[in-house]
Amino acid sequence: MQRRTFLKLAATASLAPAVSAAAETAPPLGKAEHCIFIWLGGGMAQIDTFDPKSLGDAKSKPKRPGSYYGSIETSVPGVRVCEHLSKVAPLVDRLTIVRTVNHRVIDEHAFATNLVHTGRTTSGNIAYPSIGSLVAHQRGAAAPGVPAYMLIGYPNASRGPGYLGAKHGFIYLVDTGAGPAGFTLPEFVPADRMHRRQQLLASLKHPATAGSLMADYEQAQAEAMRLAGPGFMKNFQLTTEPAELRTRYGGEFGQRCLLARRLVQAGVRFIEVSHNLNFINGTGWDTHNAGQLNQHILIQELDTALAALIADLEAQKLLDKTLVVVATEFGRPAAFDGGGGRGHQGTAFSLVLAGGGLRHCGAYGVTDELAKLPLDKPVSIPDFHATLHAALGINLAGEIYAGTRPVPITDGGQPIAALFA
Amino acid sequence: MNGLSVLIVLLGLAAAAPEPDSGAAGEPQNDSSPALKSEARTVARWTFESEPEPGVQTKITFDAGPRPPAYPGFAPDNRAAAFSNGATLLLADDGPDGQLRFAQGDSLTLEAWVRVGELKPGRYAYLIGKGRSGKRGLPEKNQNYALRLKGDAKGPRISFLFASQSASGKPGEWHRWTSTEGFQPGSAWHHVAVSYTFGKPESVRGYIDGREAPGAWDLGGATRRPPVADADDLLLASGNAGAQGNRFEGWLDEVAIRRGLVQPEELKARFAFVPPPPPVSREAVPHGQVLVQICENGLPTANVWPVEPPAATESYEQEAFGFFEMPQKYVDTGVRGDRANPLLLRAAAVVNLPAGKHRFLLRARGASRLFVDGQLLLRTNFPTGDDGGHGKVKPAEDYLDLGPDFRFAPAGEGESWCAFDVAAGEHFVILETLVGGLVGKSKRRPELGETVVALSTSGTDAWQLLSPGARHFPYTDRGWAAYAAERRQALDVLNSRARAVLREAHAPYWNRRRETARTYLAQTPEVPVPALPAGAPAQNAIDHFLAVRLAAAREQVAAVPADGVNFFQGVLPILETKCFACHRGSKVQGGLRLDSLAGARNGGEGYGPAVVPGHPESSSLLERVRSTDPDTVMPPKGELLTKEQIVLLERWIREGAHWPEFQLQRATVTPVCDDLAFLRRLALDTVGVVPSLEEIAAFQSDPPATRRASAVDRYLADPRWAEHWMGYWQDVLAENPNILNPTLNNTGPFRWWIHESLVDDKPMDLFVTELVRMRGSERFGGPAGFAVASQNDAPLATKGTIVSTAFLGIEMKCARCHDAPAHASKQADLFGLAALLAAAPVEVPKTSSVSLDKLSAGGRMPLIEVTLKPGSRVEPRWPFPELCDESLGAALAEDPQDTRDRLAALITAPQNARFAQVIANRIWQRLMGRGLVDPVDDWEHGRASHPELLGWLGRELVRSGYQAKTIARLVLNSHAYQRAADPALRETGPLFVAPAARRLSAEQVVDSLFVVTGKPFRVEEVNLDVDGRRDLKNSISLGRPTRCWMLASTSNERDRPSLALPRVQAVADVMQAFGWRGARQDAASVRDTAANALQPAILANGTMSIWLTRLSDDHAVTQLALQDQPVETLLERLFLRILTRKPTAQERAALVDYLRPGYASRRRDVRPSAASAATRGPKRYVSWSNHLDPESTVLRQQEEVAARRGDPPTERLAPAWRERLEDVVWALVNAPEFVFSP
Repeated sequence: MQRRTFLKLAATASLAPAVSAAAETAPPLGKAEHCIFIWLGGGMAQIDTFDPKSLGDAKSKPKRPGSYYGSIETSVPGVRVCEHLSKVAPLVDRLTIVRTVNHRVIDEHAFATNLVHTGRTTSGNIAYPSIGSLVAHQRGAAAPGVPAYMLIGYPNASRGPGYLGAKHGFIYLVDTGAGPAGFTLPEFVPADRMHRRQQLLASLKHPATAGSLMADYEQAQAEAMRLAGPGFMKNFQLTTEPAELRTRYGGEFGQRCLLARRLVQAGVRFIEVSHNLNFINGTGWDTHNAGQLNQHILIQELDTALAALIADLEAQKLLDKTLVVVATEFGRPAAFDGGGGRGHQGTAFSLVLAGGGLRHCGAYGVTDELAKLPLDKPVSIPDFHATLHAALGINLAGEIYAGTRPVPITDGGQPIAALFA
Repeated sequence: MNGLSVLIVLLGLAAAAPEPDSGAAGEPQNDSSPALKSEARTVARWTFESEPEPGVQTKITFDAGPRPPAYPGFAPDNRAAAFSNGATLLLADDGPDGQLRFAQGDSLTLEAWVRVGELKPGRYAYLIGKGRSGKRGLPEKNQNYALRLKGDAKGPRISFLFASQSASGKPGEWHRWTSTEGFQPGSAWHHVAVSYTFGKPESVRGYIDGREAPGAWDLGGATRRPPVADADDLLLASGNAGAQGNRFEGWLDEVAIRRGLVQPEELKARFAFVPPPPPVSREAVPHGQVLVQICENGLPTANVWPVEPPAATESYEQEAFGFFEMPQKYVDTGVRGDRANPLLLRAAAVVNLPAGKHRFLLRARGASRLFVDGQLLLRTNFPTGDDGGHGKVKPAEDYLDLGPDFRFAPAGEGESWCAFDVAAGEHFVILETLVGGLVGKSKRRPELGETVVALSTSGTDAWQLLSPGARHFPYTDRGWAAYAAERRQALDVLNSRARAVLREAHAPYWNRRRETARTYLAQTPEVPVPALPAGAPAQNAIDHFLAVRLAAAREQVAAVPADGVNFFQGVLPILETKCFACHRGSKVQGGLRLDSLAGARNGGEGYGPAVVPGHPESSSLLERVRSTDPDTVMPPKGELLTKEQIVLLERWIREGAHWPEFQLQRATVTPVCDDLAFLRRLALDTVGVVPSLEEIAAFQSDPPATRRASAVDRYLADPRWAEHWMGYWQDVLAENPNILNPTLNNTGPFRWWIHESLVDDKPMDLFVTELVRMRGSERFGGPAGFAVASQNDAPLATKGTIVSTAFLGIEMKCARCHDAPAHASKQADLFGLAALLAAAPVEVPKTSSVSLDKLSAGGRMPLIEVTLKPGSRVEPRWPFPELCDESLGAALAEDPQDTRDRLAALITAPQNARFAQVIANRIWQRLMGRGLVDPVDDWEHGRASHPELLGWLGRELVRSGYQAKTIARLVLNSHAYQRAADPALRETGPLFVAPAARRLSAEQVVDSLFVVTGKPFRVEEVNLDVDGRRDLKNSISLGRPTRCWMLASTSNERDRPSLALPRVQAVADVMQAFGWRGARQDAASVRDTAANALQPAILANGTMSIWLTRLSDDHAVTQLALQDQPVETLLERLFLRILTRKPTAQERAALVDYLRPGYASRRRDVRPSAASAATRGPKRYVSWSNHLDPESTVLRQQEEVAARRGDPPTERLAPAWRERLEDVVWALVNAPEFVFSP
């Protein structure tokens, strides 16, 4: 389509300069087909993971701000990560740690979680969709007959479809043992019993008039029955994977990542995987007070699963078409709280991108000596969202209609150009 | 050194003459101490009665001190000193030979009357201390002596502290003695004292209320070394250099320092205390009843008991000592308000008991105490605060278990019990409990939890609620459930009466409003009901209006050439997708309207007519869509028209641009639907659920001629009407409470106000007035909750958009940030409305305006404009003069000074015909599947299909006194409503010739499923703080739902397994799939009803479906199947029950065949659930207070598994046959027809 310009009479001097920058360069478009969006609820401490700084001390008096753990070299010279990320370290050339993500929300998990999922603050006029719903809406499923958006974690409004409506919502399971809600047959209904039930149901159906709402529903029901059948449900049987591979992925969180890979292969477009195994350290990633003490176990679990996922995707030749994102609602300050843990920090934190055919550079952006403020290349949440959409080949210039109101894909975000070859 | 004279020092002031001392005798009358001989001599003493007194006072204020009758030793006007915020009294050292210094071998006694305000556990608050004042030049460890209070969860203890002199130049040592007992926390006065002889560590004695209190040296140990005795000052209520943590917050009276040991008998006599008389007399208590008093006045804001028993501000009666909720407090016209927090609830009764040693149990959410015949028998403590989630899950073995069917403690209740010997006969029992109170610096939710006095008479294991009457209320799990259900009904009655009384108090004003409405109707022309065209079916006036319109539409359609372009199929879709965004409604770009032929013929600015019928060459519409100039081509954004579309438009114009008003989907109206279909439709549309077998029977037993009208009347009178309308108003008004910290545009839970308004059949104008006034309780269900929009930089602008769409059909959302391209309302209009709601000028937020840079990026002239600069202040202004004149506001408002009242009056004025029409249209749309104006919330973009009918309905609403049910009755009785659905229709057409089958709302689906299966609606309390430990600003309880509108988002944005609510989630999953939103960040008048795979999936296999399709003992179909009847009858009743119809012949054949094998021997003689006793155990709970305990995650995951498993199947039906029946039930509830209205 040709470029539209102002009506000449409207092109006043004050408006003219704004045209150039945005319109001249077309936003980059990536080729990723899938997205695995790993969510670290609670707020991963960037300074203890992907943006290490000099060591602090939570026990000295006064406490010395800084990293809780030592750091190690990675496969990208000059890029260091926490010592507990030793399995990811050799794979850092396959990823980019975006170290300068920032927003202004710190006091409330739900608010920040909503912001990072939707890329927008709430308005009261409209409920915005999550990134998963938006990608599902824009690109649909990658294969016929599978859902576009799945969630391994708890349902909440931030993960929901917002104004896009229920059909762009997720299908979820809370853990790999449970199976997806609505599609897993009750244990007392084996396949043959379900078959009998369906026959009974068929005897109750009267042919609905083609094109009627009832016919739509019947079609949806047929689709649901199919998804609940062995074809799709076999994806959830992790036991069919080699034992060695399963071990490599680690515990429940790793198994979720392995399931995500299987779902990618099945054609699911977007999978959100929650790392919410809070009992490991009591607080999950929300490492206030004593939650800090066993934070390394969380980090190691993430390390194991993430490294296994990247390697496995690569081995399966899926890495270039699968964008792996590690996201969290905010970071944590270098200083320690009264209980030796950490509070919240939104001014700078790290999110990670891996695979997806991006031109990875290990780390993008630099923060100050306490990982508190970006020193260069700050990345806003809309920018980060724009990067995800662009990587997934979604046209950022597009608009979606919420009723009669056009809503841009992101809130004015610009993708990180350096990641696009 | 010996001091045998009283020392009174007035620093920097005059010195009074020393006074001979003979113990306490002869001292001012204020002194409580009687004349007892003592060796001790008073060195300094403060009575706080009159100045001058020794020392320099800083920030001290004066209050009533201990007084008779409770403290008979004091004068009736006795005064005490109040210390807070660092208030203190300083008495300078009186020199090396002075009376304030005590040396080795000297004895001293320190005494004071105290009333504690706040003292945190672990803190030491100074009462009297010499030394350690922080004076420069003196060593740090120079405490000469000090009497302090130590904070403790069980109540303050007393503590004595001094520093010994350093041995050979080394720094001195601390020596601290603390009592191992304390006094009861509360706001009563206490007498405390310590005495000590320096050098004799065993001589230390402490006294509380005249009794010796045991204690121990707990720091530095006992010593024989001499004390520090230096030149430092003496301070009251402060010490340790004024450290905040050592300040005393509270009141002091009769403070004294005595040289010598005051004898125990003397100290005992000092504490004269007469407990206050019972606050309620035996005579005041009605026979056989518990008198309940709510006391809201005169309670301290600290977590302490009031000194004086507060008087009742409200009282009522009930049958037993069991409490979970108080009657609501209503304000204004009957909206929920907040009670005082804290308040005291007192319950008193005369109870007849047999002789014996009985066990008594006291349970309460707040601090409580139980008196029997004036004696304190049991008490529970003040609940602990919010520990940030780090509390522990209580181990099962720590639960109190007092019998085989003893009810274990629910979440969050304190409890205590005892065995107590009582004589036979009547005993006077008083229970007092403090509700609410402080948690940290904030308030706790004022909840009763399960406040109970229970009794187990000697020789029995059974527990019952203590009750004065003849009825017994077993205090077991079942017994409590039955009692609570009964009490809830009684509370509903009390509450409804209280609302009625308040409404009656405002009747004069509302009667005037009714009179105004009558006058308006009399002075304005009626809308005549047209004559019925020949052959048209009609049941009331509505059908006349519809039939006339239909006849006219038929004529228009007949004028279109048979082979011409079909406007609705060909042209309208193009206009809708390419043009309407800017060229529809009252505000259009370039002055061009393309939503009617007249508009298109008129054209817009500068281009001439858009459409000239018969002349494509003169129609600028074609010119613009064909243009190759990027500056003029239409549409300006998005995809251009295809060649085919342009050709079609051209052909349509050439053929004469036929533009019929209506599309005739069907030429003729359908006949009325059959009786059962009608009944199902009617029940769903009025009470939100399908009819029960009893309702069907009642309907069928009525005479055919009147049964439909009778059923309409019956269902309109049914209280479930309120339940059915809840979800609708929650959506329209964006009710969005959060059970955790208010965040994403959350409101208060004003659902309870909506519900009570519907239960009370409030007239719609009163409903709107109460909403707009936004008074009452914000956090506990009043319309004040509507005013809240957390994390929103212009909350009242948001509320303005809600009010304008809900009641006026004016869409203003866009004006929140900019003037809209397609709506007339400007930013100034919305903010003027917001200012009316705010009762003050409102500022346009800087944080959410659209920047001009963004607007102009990448396109031609922006379609939107920002007319209000961020930061501008907008005055209150009625922005809709076209609806009615602003002056009406002051003329009609109850309080013309109140801008909210004026706004409410302007919206609901009879002169503002729009309001009545919008309400009538909303009711019409819900019942008919389509509005007379569509969309219902945006009248700029929808034209009335039947303006006369709409006008008539609006006037009928006004005439009825704004009773929604009047309109509903008219619609439900019309032929139009009762017509058979046309299965070919996707949606009901604007001529209402036949309804399309409507997809049920999420609430209708779920509530009906519970009705047809008879399964109890059993989910968790919608609350993540079930033990009530959090600040009321951070958590609310939405109670235990009985219908699904009571649910809300489980709010697990934190993604924590321990914060899951598995059963609530199981139901919410179903509701969400069917279009319900647990979080309503924005308002919505119409839900998404598009089919998706998750809907049938969650009904087929979801957790809730497991509960409903497994035949447990409490499943209604289990009961049905156990009855003696032929299998055919069973099947027929199942069909009626679930689908409200009889099976067809084929269905009957197929399903009877399936059910017959094993039918004859289906029943098994098993008593239901005999095994339940074996699984008895305490219900360990997860709440916010302990959710970070790893055990919480384990518990919740167990609950999740249990939820998924559901109840065990009944053993009363043979398993193989039961499974067959389950399969049939499953098939019936999964039949697509179940989720559609017939």
